[in-house]
Amino acid sequence: MTAICEVLAHRYPMLLVDAVKEIHPGREIRTVKAITRNEPWYRDGEGAYPPVLLVESWAQSAGVLEGTPGDDRTMLLGALTGVEFHRPVFPGDVLENHVKLATTVGPMAVFTGSSSVAGQRVLTVSRLAVSYQNVRKGE
Amino acid sequence: MTSPVRGEIELRPDRSVRVHISPDEPVFAGHYPGRPVFPGMCLVEYVRLGALRTAPAPDLELAGLESVRFRSPVLPGDDLTITMDWNREGQSWCCTARASTGRGVAANLRLRFRHVDAP
Repeated sequence: MTAICEVLAHRYPMLLVDAVKEIHPGREIRTVKAITRNEPWYRDGEGAYPPVLLVESWAQSAGVLEGTPGDDRTMLLGALTGVEFHRPVFPGDVLENHVKLATTVGPMAVFTGSSSVAGQRVLTVSRLAVSYQNVRKGE
Repeated sequence: MTSPVRGEIELRPDRSVRVHISPDEPVFAGHYPGRPVFPGMCLVEYVRLGALRTAPAPDLELAGLESVRFRSPVLPGDDLTITMDWNREGQSWCCTARASTGRGVAANLRLRFRHVDAP
């Protein structure tokens, strides 16, 4: 079982991966995140989950795929291309992220994949390029 | 719509927008504990909100991110300035934007918007 909190430096309210369902190290990962009304973004409002946070959850899943517990480095977003939002996501939905490592070039890694809810695609990410920086993981 | 950011967006006479990144933004608590860095996707959120303030048509929603290139981090206390340029592309609208802080360009972006009722 991958210990998400040992791999990611992110914490509440910005830790947007709930569980790893499947991981093939160095290749691909499937994660889930339950969307709930109890997240701070719903304090004053209703409606669709912020689309940028769908991308954040997907990108954090990439971080889990490439991360190593106890590693002092954390992932920095470098560039995103070809991101498409297909349909809105609401509280009660379970977001399923699928991330594949496309290539690594020196200290850079490139990921591709998608997210879905109940089998319906909600997000496509053609390409995310990341680099790494030293950051102490949160307590 | 709900949003992960709390800052007040100021529309300026030149149609750019400006927003102060308060240390009280709730996302800083977890990104990262003891070492706050404004999340890149929250920067994209401010560009989305700024774009909607200058939108050339009513009832637009974010359809995609054609490209986002992060150049430098955004930190608590920064003043973020976003300049935008809109172009129509068939049924959608594209917003080419640049977000800057006092330390220089934070991100170059190209966002695509569609009409809310579009299929």
